[in-house]
Amino acid sequence: MAGVLVLVEHASGAVDDLSLQAVALARQVAAGAPLAALLVSEGGRDAAAQLGSHGVTTAHVAEDERLAAFAPAAWARCVDELIDRLDPSAVVAAGSNRGNEVLAHVGARRDLPFAANVTSIGAGEPPTLTRVRWGGSLLEEARLHAPLALLTAAPHMVAAGPVNGAAPPDVEAFAPALEPADLVVQVSEHVDATATGVSLAEAKVVVSGGRGVGSAEGFGILEELAAQLHAAVGCSRVVTSAGWRPHTDQVGQTGTKVSPDLYIACGISGATQHIAGCKGAKKMLAINADAEAPILNSADYAVIGDLTEIVPAITAELRRARER
Amino acid sequence: MRLGKPVDRSGDVPQRARNEATIVLGQRKLFQRFGPGLMHAAIFWGFVVLFPTILMAMIAAVDREATLPWLGSQGWFALLVDVFAVLVLLGVVAAVGIRKVQRPARFEGSHLGEADLILAMIAGIVTTLLLWHASRIALGLHEWEAGWSPVSNALSGLFGDGTLTEVLERVFIWAHVLIILSFLAYLPHSKHLHIATAAFNVYFGRTGPGGRLEPLRFDGPEEEMRFGAGTVPDLTWKQTMDAFSCTECGRCQDVCPAWNTGKDLSPKLLIMGIRDQVFADGPKLLRDVDFDPSPLVPDAVPETSVWDCVTCGACVQECPVSIEHVDHIVDLRRHLVMVESRFPSEAEPMLRDVERASNPWGRAQTERADWAEKLGVRVLEPGEPAPEVLYWVGCAASFDERAKTAAESTAKLLQAAGVDFAILGPREGCTGDPARRMGNEYLFQAHAEQNVATLNEAGVTKIVASCPHCFNTLGNEYGDFGGSYEVVHHTELLADLVREGRLQPTADGGSITYHDSCYLARHNDVRSDPRELVAAVGEPVEMARSGKRTFCCGAGGAHMWMEERGGAINEERAREASETGADTLAVACPFCTVMLDDGVRARGDEIRVVDVSTLLVESLEDPPPA
Repeated sequence: MAGVLVLVEHASGAVDDLSLQAVALARQVAAGAPLAALLVSEGGRDAAAQLGSHGVTTAHVAEDERLAAFAPAAWARCVDELIDRLDPSAVVAAGSNRGNEVLAHVGARRDLPFAANVTSIGAGEPPTLTRVRWGGSLLEEARLHAPLALLTAAPHMVAAGPVNGAAPPDVEAFAPALEPADLVVQVSEHVDATATGVSLAEAKVVVSGGRGVGSAEGFGILEELAAQLHAAVGCSRVVTSAGWRPHTDQVGQTGTKVSPDLYIACGISGATQHIAGCKGAKKMLAINADAEAPILNSADYAVIGDLTEIVPAITAELRRARER
Repeated sequence: MRLGKPVDRSGDVPQRARNEATIVLGQRKLFQRFGPGLMHAAIFWGFVVLFPTILMAMIAAVDREATLPWLGSQGWFALLVDVFAVLVLLGVVAAVGIRKVQRPARFEGSHLGEADLILAMIAGIVTTLLLWHASRIALGLHEWEAGWSPVSNALSGLFGDGTLTEVLERVFIWAHVLIILSFLAYLPHSKHLHIATAAFNVYFGRTGPGGRLEPLRFDGPEEEMRFGAGTVPDLTWKQTMDAFSCTECGRCQDVCPAWNTGKDLSPKLLIMGIRDQVFADGPKLLRDVDFDPSPLVPDAVPETSVWDCVTCGACVQECPVSIEHVDHIVDLRRHLVMVESRFPSEAEPMLRDVERASNPWGRAQTERADWAEKLGVRVLEPGEPAPEVLYWVGCAASFDERAKTAAESTAKLLQAAGVDFAILGPREGCTGDPARRMGNEYLFQAHAEQNVATLNEAGVTKIVASCPHCFNTLGNEYGDFGGSYEVVHHTELLADLVREGRLQPTADGGSITYHDSCYLARHNDVRSDPRELVAAVGEPVEMARSGKRTFCCGAGGAHMWMEERGGAINEERAREASETGADTLAVACPFCTVMLDDGVRARGDEIRVVDVSTLLVESLEDPPPA
């Protein structure tokens, strides 16, 4: 076909945003040539229907009950089979953990180079790729010498958008010839990273506590507030040093850097090491007993007072508002 | 040592001779602990004096009637021998007392049996010497006036002048010689090797400021290029000599902030581990060029130990034989970071932020001078004439809310005294100190070159820094990258201004205890100026560990950006400060400010942590009622 194959991830029948960005990059690569998609496992057929408006002409859905749980080598075999069948000029996937892992497997199977985190593709033979390196500090221009280009799209760097007047793609199901070795590594269980089920790095609201919370038990009122706000609970370094919370909860230079819409800092003095982790917040509310605390210089709003009174009061008010 | 990588320890001969005189002959560093120092000095000086008796004994062992020409028949020398032999014996008794009765914790992990054997040998050597002399006096074989030897003469009363004494005289002399020979044979296999290496190790010890790290050269010939130390052949010859010189005395371990707060690192065990590895791999490497030496980390040194170090240099300060522990540790880190990319993951954002944003917290460079705006501090723009003094603010005082107060205070004081100064603002970049102490020499050098270029282009000649780490890097390390400036710490400049009468504080600040920053007091000898300032604003109270023997706050060696394992160093120091009963804990470093303030809060102490410059501002702003 000499078109482009794009690996599409989906969950409960909906295509992932990052995969739509990969489709957009694949369109760029295809430059008018046919665009085929690969969707793995159940729900693939439903998700495929959405791809027409993004320029996909054929959707191949790999079906096998053993594909219910993610297995990188098994996915790579699906890609591998389609490459044999379709002979595309490039395979594109999302710059997600899965996309990068599967294409790395494909690269290894076919002894091909693989360019991750691509933002755009230019003219020339071989074409010039622009890709993100060094954790975002560097944009690299590179030429990829390969009979078949394996690319992933850098997350949030390629705009995904529908194309006009496209019909739903043809859906073709196939059963890949999986071998037991392909299923040695697979997802066995999903565990939520935080008690509230919201991951710290992605939460829209973070309720964070510092030394002022006083103890591990003191975080109970913060967790209640977080549950009301569908927020993640974070903390400062002194809290993890004291053993009140696990290190995975730490916000700061030596922990997670967060960028929520709202960051609620309870009893946190605001050491630079902590500010470095939450300065990406759009709005910050500080609740602190000390009117001189450095955090107040970074906060948009502040309540000076005892957090053991203020935090439950906010939780109660939210509950009341909900019930009304 | 033949395998060792080059390091230049020539030059500075007068300084080296002075070190030899004071540290070796004068036992200066041993006397940092008076009791054990006196013990060691008695044995050491004893053996220096008794040295000729070894020759005399060997001669007399062969020919009963012979001795060294001239010296052998001098009465005064016989007196010296008696006196020093007794001193050595007293020294041995004291040493046994220390080891068996007092049992200080510093010997934990040392080879105790070895030490016992050596002490027994020393006692044997000296006892047989005295008995031999006594028996010669009894037999009338002595070449000197017996009255010169009070001890031997008194002991001679134990012997008659018959055949038994003649036999005993032979027994004593041969026992004496045999113990000496066994001692010499045992020496290379024991910690006592230091008597052969220590004098050289002291001579070749560092002569420059303690805070300067030897730069790695990435542009030299390949065979000389080092990326720190991964295996035995990566060590410099001095590092190998360090390993041979260790006596396992544990003074380093005793003062180490990491060891004292329950972490894995003991500087002593680290050097012992390297020594064992040198003995294991060295001979094989010399025999077989293809021998693959094992990695120093973790085979000789546990990986956790390497990262526990705060580079405070207390161990180096304490070591009587001039071992340079911090250089070893930094070289191990350099290898781990630059070759293996293996380091505590939580420090990664710091390295990335230093690289990308030129400050370790990833703040925007454009915000660097925000604190100075309301004070009207001049920001030196490109092309403008350089001020008399450039104020190097440093990242911490530019961005950290608590440390900023020190920058504001310093600027206010310089303004009040009418000093012509300016700051670089957004053109000031991280000096690279945390990256360098983490072992990322590339990143440090990139920053050094950039900053030196900025400073040289601006025509800066004099710099005042309020951060001891910047102060150390600018003053001691940028010289290696083409940057030579007169660099002073803000406490030095402020003390000058007070002495000149340009600032006139009054002593009403209550009782103040001053915490010496490692990079000021120990690494750069800045001790009296901050104390003068403290005395000018309040009533000074000293902590037990102060001056050159200060105890770290816990932030050094890039620990500001690492998670602490074990007990908290800052709380240990906060405890010591609070126990002085002082109202105020004065500091002169932004990192000490943050660490100790945290330590005080964690413990719930009342003592107020504040920079010396802020105390000075308060004293000037609120003069006491007349």
